[in-house]
Amino acid sequence: MGALGDLARGFEVALTPENLLWAFVGVLLGTVVGVLPGIGPALTVALLLPVTFSLDPVSAFIMFAGIYYGGMYGGSTTSILLNTPGESASIITAIEGNRMARKGRGAAALATAAIGSFVAGTIATIGLTFLSPVMVDVALEFGPAEYFALIVLAFSTISAVLGRSVVRGLISLFLGLAIGLVGIDTLTGQSRFTFGIPQLLNGIDVVTVAVGLFAVGETFWVASRLRHDRDQVVPVRGSIWMTREEWRRSWKAWLRGTALGFPIGALPAGGAEIPTFLSYTIEKQLSQHPEEFGNGAIEGVAGPEAANNASAAGVLVPLLTLGLPTSATAAIMLAAFQRYGLQPGPLLFERNSELVWGLIASLYIGNVMLLVLNLPLVGLWVRLLAIPRPYLYAGILVLAGLGTYSLNRSTVDLVVLYIIGAVGFLMRRFDIPVAPAVVGVVLGPMAEDHFRRALQISRGDYSVFVTRPISLAILIVAALAIVVPVLIRRSRGRGDSR
Amino acid sequence: MERGDQPDSSRSRTEIVAELALAVGVVAIGALVLWQTNEIRVAPTYSRIGPRVVPTIVGAGLILLGLWLAADVLTGHLTGPSEESEDADPTLPTDWRTVGLLAASLVVYLLLIERAGFVIASALLFTGAAFAMGSRHPIRDALLGLAVAVVLYIGFTEGLDLRLPAGWLEGIS
Repeated sequence: MGALGDLARGFEVALTPENLLWAFVGVLLGTVVGVLPGIGPALTVALLLPVTFSLDPVSAFIMFAGIYYGGMYGGSTTSILLNTPGESASIITAIEGNRMARKGRGAAALATAAIGSFVAGTIATIGLTFLSPVMVDVALEFGPAEYFALIVLAFSTISAVLGRSVVRGLISLFLGLAIGLVGIDTLTGQSRFTFGIPQLLNGIDVVTVAVGLFAVGETFWVASRLRHDRDQVVPVRGSIWMTREEWRRSWKAWLRGTALGFPIGALPAGGAEIPTFLSYTIEKQLSQHPEEFGNGAIEGVAGPEAANNASAAGVLVPLLTLGLPTSATAAIMLAAFQRYGLQPGPLLFERNSELVWGLIASLYIGNVMLLVLNLPLVGLWVRLLAIPRPYLYAGILVLAGLGTYSLNRSTVDLVVLYIIGAVGFLMRRFDIPVAPAVVGVVLGPMAEDHFRRALQISRGDYSVFVTRPISLAILIVAALAIVVPVLIRRSRGRGDSR
Repeated sequence: MERGDQPDSSRSRTEIVAELALAVGVVAIGALVLWQTNEIRVAPTYSRIGPRVVPTIVGAGLILLGLWLAADVLTGHLTGPSEESEDADPTLPTDWRTVGLLAASLVVYLLLIERAGFVIASALLFTGAAFAMGSRHPIRDALLGLAVAVVLYIGFTEGLDLRLPAGWLEGIS
């Protein structure tokens, strides 16, 4: 009953009027910014980070939870009405949902996405409640070698399993690792890669990297090839109340999507892309109307959206219990913890149990708020989609400047932001994914720390990573995650020109 | 997610050159990392697993990845430009005028934020960026940018206790 007691105390924290207000503000801001085209959940969280700076940690993270879930909800609205996935996990929603909207069933698509996200988010948060204490016990057994192996696994799955090219994913990861090296070496106090600039001694903030790659890089990419014959926002038609038939076709897809999304998200290799793609494939196999897939099948929205939201809650399991972020959004959230001097991991549950359980409780509350907010107010969000493009991107740049400058009130950060923005523009141009770089910036220093600690314990004997069974097993899986996609693509490449 | 039509041969030749330039760039960054690694001072007691080990791995890794990319490109594994997004058309050539205007707006912002203050710098950035992206109503854009900047400034400084430079408007608020 430990988890329930802890959760009850979490609700006591989250249900104070002040914290309810912060949760509401977070949910609202997250949705508003998440709805804006071209802004995915990771950028939403990065841009809104300064808003939480002056709050006490508990309120800040309650608001943060709202921003996180709100950004996810807002993103799915954009995908359905505009066919612009803000991140790779919403690609499927964009395909089927946008077709539905074009066929005049946009309201039903938005409703199944919103209710599905609510169902999945709630079930997955229950999963988080009960799995986290178990994971904490497991995590306490891990030494530096195991942690290092887990991080390597996260690296290889994030950069190699998805995307069109393994080498491009790895280039992104290593660029992130290189950025993560800048600053003072934590173990010896030596400065590295600072080029004599004192402001770089504290390293480059992941928020600067995420905002540079996602906001500045993306804006330059759009500016360089501005499209003049843009798609129009599909007007929302139909009732927001789903028909009995639509409910019947949706609810199983929600549950199946949740069942895929949460466990895969909770794995330290996580990410939301794999469960959404799996969910889509499975729904297509099981559907009685497979011919509708690709033309707006409601299961094709319901399942992947549920999977996406369930994995968003799942990702919090390794983040909170192990301190391992497995998505760009989680990487930024980890940075937010570190700003408050908190290190997620097993000890966080002991030392800051009020904060952790307040955060988890506010996830339940945020989900309810989002459902209430999203169904009736969808017309309002739709209007945000019609913002003229020049104003949208001008606004993104103003927010990017504000968010980065307010980190340290230093123009050096702005220069770094521009350089990273230029790199992001090139990465976009050459189809190099940016998420591995963001994760690399945060996890790189942690990986180095565990790597060197493990070697200090073993007195420089590198075999420590392969003689400990758990570490060896994880490293083998990590190697397979790189090798298998390369081999699959090679053999496919023989078959046809691609 | 499917790529559209195959690019014609002259286009794909430019693309091969561009991709090879990218590979060279990745190798160059790796070399830069290795060179800077040598600048890190190492206390003798830390010689075995000191602060240089991981940077060496990262630098060497980047060089190897650059070579891997080059090999991929030369054996015909082109992926081409980035996937379509709603506002960008990847088949268009790079529009350097728009990019240049946008970059200029950002430089002005950098130079002004601590002198003229957050409000003026942000309003100018908004106006410049909107103009670069094709808006042709500079006065309306400037007023809108000013409104956005003032709302953000008041929201952050009064509502959230975050300090932002007031600059030339010091004393007005």
